[in-house]
Amino acid sequence: MNIEQLKSTRPPLPPKPRNPMPVWVATTLVTLWLIVWDLDISFEALVYGVADMGEYFSRYGQPDFSDLSRYLELMGITLATALWGTVFALLVAFFLAPLAARNFAPNPVAYRVAREILNFMRAMPDLLLALIFVAALGLGPLPGALALGVHTAGFLGKFFAESLERVDQGVCEGVAATGANFPQRVMYAGWPSILREALGYTLYILDRNVRMASVLGLVGAGGIGLALHDTLRLFDYGQSGALILVILATILIIDYASAWLRGRLG
Amino acid sequence: MTTVSIWRWPTPSGLPPLPLVGGALALLGALWLTAPVVEVDFVRLLGALGRMVAFAGQMFVTPDWHYVPQLLAKMLETIEMTVLGTAIAIVVSLPLGLLAAGNATPHPLVYRITRDLLSLMRALPELVWALVFVSAVGLGPLPGVMALAFVTVGFMGKFFAEAIEVVDHKAVEGVRAHGAGWLQVRLFAMLPQALPDFVGTVMYILDHNLRAAAILGLVGAGGIGYDLVMSMRLFQYDRLLLIALAIYLVVTLLDRLSDRLRSRIIHGARA
Amino acid sequence: MSAISIQSVSKRFPNGCEALMGINAEIQPGSFTVVLGPSGAGKSTLLRVLNGLEASTGGSVRIGGETLGKGNLRKLRASVAMVFQQFNLVDRLSVVTNVLTGRLAHRSWVGSLFYLFRTEDMEVARQALARVGLTDKAWSRADKLSGGQQQRVGIARALAQRPKVILADEPVASLDPVASEEIMALLREIRDRDGITVVVNLHQVDLARRFADRIIGMNGGRVVFDGTPAELSPQALRTIYQREGMEHDNSLDLALAYA
Repeated sequence: MNIEQLKSTRPPLPPKPRNPMPVWVATTLVTLWLIVWDLDISFEALVYGVADMGEYFSRYGQPDFSDLSRYLELMGITLATALWGTVFALLVAFFLAPLAARNFAPNPVAYRVAREILNFMRAMPDLLLALIFVAALGLGPLPGALALGVHTAGFLGKFFAESLERVDQGVCEGVAATGANFPQRVMYAGWPSILREALGYTLYILDRNVRMASVLGLVGAGGIGLALHDTLRLFDYGQSGALILVILATILIIDYASAWLRGRLG
Repeated sequence: MTTVSIWRWPTPSGLPPLPLVGGALALLGALWLTAPVVEVDFVRLLGALGRMVAFAGQMFVTPDWHYVPQLLAKMLETIEMTVLGTAIAIVVSLPLGLLAAGNATPHPLVYRITRDLLSLMRALPELVWALVFVSAVGLGPLPGVMALAFVTVGFMGKFFAEAIEVVDHKAVEGVRAHGAGWLQVRLFAMLPQALPDFVGTVMYILDHNLRAAAILGLVGAGGIGYDLVMSMRLFQYDRLLLIALAIYLVVTLLDRLSDRLRSRIIHGARA
Repeated sequence: MSAISIQSVSKRFPNGCEALMGINAEIQPGSFTVVLGPSGAGKSTLLRVLNGLEASTGGSVRIGGETLGKGNLRKLRASVAMVFQQFNLVDRLSVVTNVLTGRLAHRSWVGSLFYLFRTEDMEVARQALARVGLTDKAWSRADKLSGGQQQRVGIARALAQRPKVILADEPVASLDPVASEEIMALLREIRDRDGITVVVNLHQVDLARRFADRIIGMNGGRVVFDGTPAELSPQALRTIYQREGMEHDNSLDLALAYA
């Protein structure tokens, strides 16, 4: 038997499915190119910038720690702001999340409303909220804490609600069958089942809030962000470097602490 | 027989469990100590409530329709910054992820340095990096894109590194046994296994970056942020309302899209 | 007055599946009834309709003369306790707390939100635990117990409700034969000593025969047998376990001969 005869007796292969990958890749590349064109990003500027970057970053090389005590104080305020913001978010999420969980919500209306409220809180950037609260309350860390609280309440609420929806249906029914009402079902079948996850999310949000708190100072909401803004505007690289290091060190410490805590829980 | 019921907790001692009580007390203590620092003043808050309601009322004025074209342009710029920054970050973080993975890195020192570098990149918020980059390359969307890309590389690099580290060894051995070179092993055995989680993570990143991009304009790094702050400062509430609405719509749209995509992937994508 | 009065109850699921088609039965107080049937017969659905976990799409259920509806769910559930195949305990909580969830529907509930219970409630829980023989495991976490022990906690939770009726939905399907025996004996003993009405779903014919006063056989959403274990002839069994399209040969009889 020769090749031709072999080929003719073989059943034909099914048609090769069309591979969508090249289309996707091409579309993505085209889109990216269009964006670069539209944003008018000059690669020259970037290349020069990157080349200068080395020199630029070296300017931060001699951090000026002369004002360290003030910086640490500001960082302390920032941390406190983050803490209050997170606690506020936790309180709001604690009450809204069960309503926003399909399996716990007492009725579909409450569910929809709670979900929308949480979505709204999430969609508003903290900065915008901070601006509004500063306008209402004046300068200082309190509007920052509120802004963080409201914004992250949306996130925390959504995380909690999603966790609650994953609770085993049987467990919920077990408690419901005893005649428990909505708050009881939430407290006995809901929170105990997701405690570990909930604490993990809370720590994650606390971490995130520390970062955001350090920036909210830029709009007058207290903390270290404002100091950094001022020093950079004055091209005081020494102090800017010092400030960045303080912020960095604090964030890294919080990161490690929260990762350690989450490891202990898991 | 007492007629008054005594309440107690379901523990052997009748008191709530110690870790719980300890944690709650510690938290309350921390809050109480820091209250003056944060200038928490409930009286002030209640007073401000009236002002906030009045403010909200002021917001609902006739929108400045002439502003819409600029608004759209700025929103588009914001979205573009997000996409470009994320795309660049993904490309850059792939090789960095390899270097930062215990099983794929060429040298333990490289591993340590890369890991620490990635940690550093994600530590500072985008706005801080934007401040720095504006200082370096000037105003405009470029420093914004750089700032977004920077932080995203920090995050995605770690993600890839961790995904590569939990790769199935058998697949790697198989490819190696066929005589694949150093790079080929990583490209064809390790990376493909790390990719499935990828799409979900990218959606999450895009979501996060869009929100971040919306405020980078505050420091001159492009996007709607600058207009946002300015309209607030200049009491241009007719613009502020439009801006807030635009941000809300775009963020929500992306949010729903990413939810739908994620559930599509979890519950089985089309073949 | 019947403990449970089931009148023309039907249940049609949104996907079109007709799980129950006009069930009629009167459950007498203090009786031990076993609902027997193959998988998919509608046994679970029937029991779940009886305590409101599923809403019937036709007919009505009366518990102690009172019609079950949206408004009196909490009140009626307080007197109708349920034991589940998968135990359905809250894993993280201690055995005692799980049993105490049986008291949640009784009197004021505000304290319970803070995990505070009255001494009377603690006493009821203690007695229930003693009844099922798990006093020494009182403070263990629920998920650290064996299957048989967890089911006993489930029964203790049911007892803590001081119910008039205990519904058990395949309570022994996840247990080994020895544990199954213990659980069935416990349920029977609860009926004998406390006069609580017991309705149990089973697919094990042998257990049904030995423990029931009355067997209700279900197949395809309908009642196909209603009588004492003595009346459960091979003929009757065949009717209960008959499936559509099954050939009329000996295989079914053989399978049931050793059931």
